[in-house]
Amino acid sequence: MTSDEALMLEFQGGSRAAFEELFARYRKPLYGFFGRRLNNPERAEDLVQETFLAVIRAASRYEPRALVRTYLYGIALKLLAAERRKFLTSSTFGQSAPEPKTDGTPECVLWVRQAMEKLDAPDREILMLREYEQLSYSDIAELLRIPVNTVRSRLFRSRLALKSYLESEAKTNPALRASAGQPHPGRRGMQ
Amino acid sequence: MSTNRHPIEQEELMAYLDGELPPDQATEALSHLELCPECQTLAADFGGVSQKLMAWEVESPEVGIPSEINAALGERLQKREAAKVGSPRLENRVMTSRWVWAGALAIVCVAVGLKLTLTSRNRNEDRSTVYSSMASIEQYLMPDRNAEIAMARSAAPEAISADAKILVLGWRGYETAIEGKNGFVCMVERSWMSPFNSAEFWNPKVRVPGCFNPGAARSILPLTIKRTEMVLAGLSKAQMIDSIKAGFDNRELPTPAAGAMCYMMSRAGYLNDAVGHYVPHLMFYFPLTDKSSWGADLPDSPVTLNPQFQGGPEPITEFVIPVGKWSDGTVAPVM
Repeated sequence: MTSDEALMLEFQGGSRAAFEELFARYRKPLYGFFGRRLNNPERAEDLVQETFLAVIRAASRYEPRALVRTYLYGIALKLLAAERRKFLTSSTFGQSAPEPKTDGTPECVLWVRQAMEKLDAPDREILMLREYEQLSYSDIAELLRIPVNTVRSRLFRSRLALKSYLESEAKTNPALRASAGQPHPGRRGMQ
Repeated sequence: MSTNRHPIEQEELMAYLDGELPPDQATEALSHLELCPECQTLAADFGGVSQKLMAWEVESPEVGIPSEINAALGERLQKREAAKVGSPRLENRVMTSRWVWAGALAIVCVAVGLKLTLTSRNRNEDRSTVYSSMASIEQYLMPDRNAEIAMARSAAPEAISADAKILVLGWRGYETAIEGKNGFVCMVERSWMSPFNSAEFWNPKVRVPGCFNPGAARSILPLTIKRTEMVLAGLSKAQMIDSIKAGFDNRELPTPAAGAMCYMMSRAGYLNDAVGHYVPHLMFYFPLTDKSSWGADLPDSPVTLNPQFQGGPEPITEFVIPVGKWSDGTVAPVM
């Protein structure tokens, strides 16, 4: 099967099929990326679309210096930052950020989300890029423009903190304590 | 944790569990981890955190390419076509550019060749975005030793597996859980027994119970043992491939014994995301041979060529024949 990088080059050369293949490979992972960070399915879908539109517009400028995967998450991180800035700006005009949708969300997911929200934002981002996007330390370092050692130390710190948050919540909620011991049947990380 | 007592820092231990330590440090980390209850607790804690995080799945709606993207794509491709037709010089430039890109890609491929093709990240298949690197070791282990023993035994009918030797996976590799009497060896293989270019090479959910007959226990099982030890020692795919090739070259690794075969009739197994539990089957091993010698993959033939070692460093041909019942005697689905 063709590598992402070769597909990107084929797309630059005018291959629609190559783009469609990249879309098929990355739509769900990107949706998971935005979905977890925004808790807003509609915006997540929009931003996935914007990511691919950015790829189309910038295709001629893509250089195979980085892996396509890193390139795509780089675009996604920029779009996410813009989205968050937009929120901050609109908040000053009286709009507030929508509450995360919780209808029908399993308690164990809410528990994880709440624990993640307690982490410092930069630490949380590193943890999510590692756990959900399954990026390597060096990929994360490249995307966030920080040293690899910083990635490692923050990842360590955030995992310890998360463990502590999850444990303290489980102590006060017997249902979570019971579910905490149950391995989740879903596969690791992205959808 | 004091560095006086622990030869590795906690952060290094975490990096090891993430598959981020170079082989020499990984070996040191593994050696220490096996002996240090405190570090084992930390590893279990981190594994537990990862497992809990898995609960947060995001269901993505199944949609095709949205119309806006299709429109933008059409526009871009149209412009490109128009440019090609209208400007031979541009065409030349584009073609030149493509060669430049190709050259650049080649350079990148050389520079990061291992990373692109042979390391823990296989980007050549769909699921590469999911199982791109090794998960923490704990995710590949089964916390309940008895459950692993039972799963291993489920690979073959009780008449065979009850007296078989049983291996279970530990921090350092496979260990004997129960000694056998009949020469068969049952165990649960993990994802790294997939082809090296498989997108699910690092899928931590994979559990493949198998019972090797005595010939396979002598000549095929050592491959599973070797790959597993190398994975747990943190070797890259390239290093593993080189080591396996060398093992066959210097005859440390055996060629398949005559009659080597394996029972894989468990309904409890999970082969990969693509086929799930699959169907009960038997596997037969040979030194490299043409699949036509068994009529494999021909229309209506029940024999298929297993891709497990195909194109891999192991000079082995493996045929698969589905059977109609699971090891417990119940009827299995038709392929």
